[in-house]
Amino acid sequence: MAISNERLNIGNGINLNLIKTDKFKSNLVSLYMEMPLNRDMVTQNALIPLVLKRGTNKYNTTLEVERKLEELYGGQLSLNINKKGERHVLRFTIESPKGFYVDDEEYFYEVISFLKEIVYNPYVDDGGFKKEYVDQEKENLKRMIEGKINDKRSYAMTRCIEEMCKNEKYSIYEYGYVKDLDFIDNKNLYEHYKSILENSPIEIFYIGNYDNKMIDHIKNTFKIDRENITKIPREKITDAVQTKNMVYEDMQINQGKLVIGYRTGIPYEDNLYKALLVSSEILGGGPNSKLFRTVREKESLAYYINSKIYKYKSIMIIDAGIDFDKFEKTLEITRNQIDELKEGIFTDDDIEIAKKAIVTSLKSVTDSNYLISEFFLSQVLSNDNRSVDEMIEDILNVNREDIIEVANKINVDTIYFLKNENL
Amino acid sequence: MDKSIFKNNKINEELFFYESESGLKVYLMPKSGYMKKYAVFATQYGSNDNKFIPIGEKEAIEVPEGIAHFLEHKLFEEPDENIFDKFSEFGASVNAYTNFNQTAYLFSCTDNFYENLELLIKFVQNPYFTDENVEKEKGIIAQEIKMYEDNPGWKVFFNCLTGMYHNHPVKTDIAGTVESIRKIDKEILYTCYNTFYHPKNMVLFLVGDISFEEVVKVVDSSEKKDIKLDVEEITRIYPEEPKEIKEKYIEEKLVTSIPIFIIGFKDDELGLEGKELVKREIVTNILLEMLFGKSSKFYQELYSEGLIDASFGGQYVGHKNYGHSIVAGQSYKPEVVLERINTYLEEIRNEGLNEEDFERIKNKDIGSNIMGFNSVEFIANNFINYFFLDFLFLDYLDVYDSISFEDALNRFNKHYRKDNYTLSVIKPV
Repeated sequence: MAISNERLNIGNGINLNLIKTDKFKSNLVSLYMEMPLNRDMVTQNALIPLVLKRGTNKYNTTLEVERKLEELYGGQLSLNINKKGERHVLRFTIESPKGFYVDDEEYFYEVISFLKEIVYNPYVDDGGFKKEYVDQEKENLKRMIEGKINDKRSYAMTRCIEEMCKNEKYSIYEYGYVKDLDFIDNKNLYEHYKSILENSPIEIFYIGNYDNKMIDHIKNTFKIDRENITKIPREKITDAVQTKNMVYEDMQINQGKLVIGYRTGIPYEDNLYKALLVSSEILGGGPNSKLFRTVREKESLAYYINSKIYKYKSIMIIDAGIDFDKFEKTLEITRNQIDELKEGIFTDDDIEIAKKAIVTSLKSVTDSNYLISEFFLSQVLSNDNRSVDEMIEDILNVNREDIIEVANKINVDTIYFLKNENL
Repeated sequence: MDKSIFKNNKINEELFFYESESGLKVYLMPKSGYMKKYAVFATQYGSNDNKFIPIGEKEAIEVPEGIAHFLEHKLFEEPDENIFDKFSEFGASVNAYTNFNQTAYLFSCTDNFYENLELLIKFVQNPYFTDENVEKEKGIIAQEIKMYEDNPGWKVFFNCLTGMYHNHPVKTDIAGTVESIRKIDKEILYTCYNTFYHPKNMVLFLVGDISFEEVVKVVDSSEKKDIKLDVEEITRIYPEEPKEIKEKYIEEKLVTSIPIFIIGFKDDELGLEGKELVKREIVTNILLEMLFGKSSKFYQELYSEGLIDASFGGQYVGHKNYGHSIVAGQSYKPEVVLERINTYLEEIRNEGLNEEDFERIKNKDIGSNIMGFNSVEFIANNFINYFFLDFLFLDYLDVYDSISFEDALNRFNKHYRKDNYTLSVIKPV
């Protein structure tokens, strides 16, 4: 099914993207604010969604916010912040059942207005956010940052990227740093949010049913007059290995986590980028991949081993959970598999299978309203006008020579191993 | 041949049903306009079914812990082809999972659905175990077990189960232990397979933009033909489980930034099936949301005091022969959270629950479930789970019509008591 995106400019730096579809039983609105990923702002940015969720001008307390959502037929509100390349993106999403299913055709206007309350009318007290809320959320953010170690796999991946990109903004942790929290208070945080509202590019996505009246309502609800919109520079990427290091870290764990970071130097704008996606898929995409077949199926070394391309930075990360004494062996097999890729030792079937896997995941995007909004946002962030179908076409056009060419641009940069010194 | 169509106008969905010659029940929920097509082939056999009478025998046997999960891994093995490759060639991604009560094999794809379906039926119905391939799997599963050993959320949950249950197999880890899986060999795998993978003990569920006629054709032509049809019901043996919990408190140390906890309330109103079981589950979940959800005063109080964070919440799970509510979260003072919960429950015992809260939560639940029907994965996983509880998930929302505030009150008094809970805590090393 083709999905099309009608993009309307509704204010300086504010675009409304409309995706009409009958497929879902709900309507979904997502509003994204883009900010640069900067070391000095990151912690404040990360605190914003936590504080905004606590209360608005109209619904002063979280209790009121939550009860209002329940009245909106279980409307689901989610706010978060994510690193997308060297952008820090604030997301507000609300989703609730279509009027037909709850016998209330008009209530979605109220849902839109409620989202506006959360985004534009936070609870302000004495010229700042409510102090109590900010203090509590500072503590919660501190716990989130410290909680980085709880999921060992994602911790190891984060650490590898931190080490690998230590001289680049991309190494900045998306939830910020505990030591910054001392300098944040309810007033300076509110000032910071005002400047975000004033300067950030905003993309709004509406996925569901609508008519002209609804479009007008959304336009009027979200348009604001603004002057200077921040231009966020495109990430610098490099094929030159930056650190070339081996990092070991100890933790009291039962399974070692190996993460290897590679530079490819192939930007997403490059014609070869699509071949990079295919080659990473051949290497460590699914259960058919070279790494899965060797490291897991042949050698029984791991339960999971994966390879993934990070679009905005053009890096590739391979990660696996292995026994501590299998570090050298896993590394060697991985090295051999990449060498094989470079030498063209893979079958035409491998290429076809990799392409199909990518095509299936592209097609599946249209089955989830949330993924549709994430997909179009990613297109906006990368100035890419291609439709899903055009992207599929591009993937299908990748050939063996392209794959070998990109494989030869993959260079190992950082090897990270989380281990247990006592085992 | 038995064919029928069920409809639910409330959620605007249909369900096609057909029973094949071997006794396999096949259900299809059409989703027009969806690109993704999803199929699950599941057996009512999970980690809880560790003691049973093997098919064609008289004596019960007890098998090593983790065997249902081990079997799930090994079914992907075929004599002369790699099953992952076959699915990959058709652009499908194939997977499987084992839980306490079922093992499910599934794939999702956008193209070549019927070819993939044929593959799914054939590989699940064709076990191929050798000494060598069984040995090889032990290393892989050992790594899977170790991965979970480092997961504080998983550990705190299983510790809570071992605190609540004396004997019931739900307290043992689904994958078993590195030691228990060593005892597994191909003979015992075949015994389990032959007993539990009979079509009569299985269900095939499909969801997506799929033709029912085609499905019937594929099932008829692909399913195994030389299957003995007059088989007896499987006898599963569960140990006697006392109503009381085993231990009040369990603590372990792992790498975590903050202590995490689960309070488990053990259910002793057991033996329900079908709609009654589902009704009890919904009532209990509404109650948990009323008591501990984000829109409760209790949640907001503890949150403001920094005793809990957004991870706090509760959930009830109920099966035919066991059930429990869990209330989970992270806190620097789990013991204080428990104390507050106790005081709070005592207050409610004296003052009662609020009917407005009940209505609000009930409506919210209905809305959330309607939205769930956007996702083929949500539909499929729930369908399988409820099917083995003798309930058609299509009618899930209708159960809400039969639930009243009185049901919630009754349930509260019986289930949230002072003597039936375990506190499990994982503290930082």
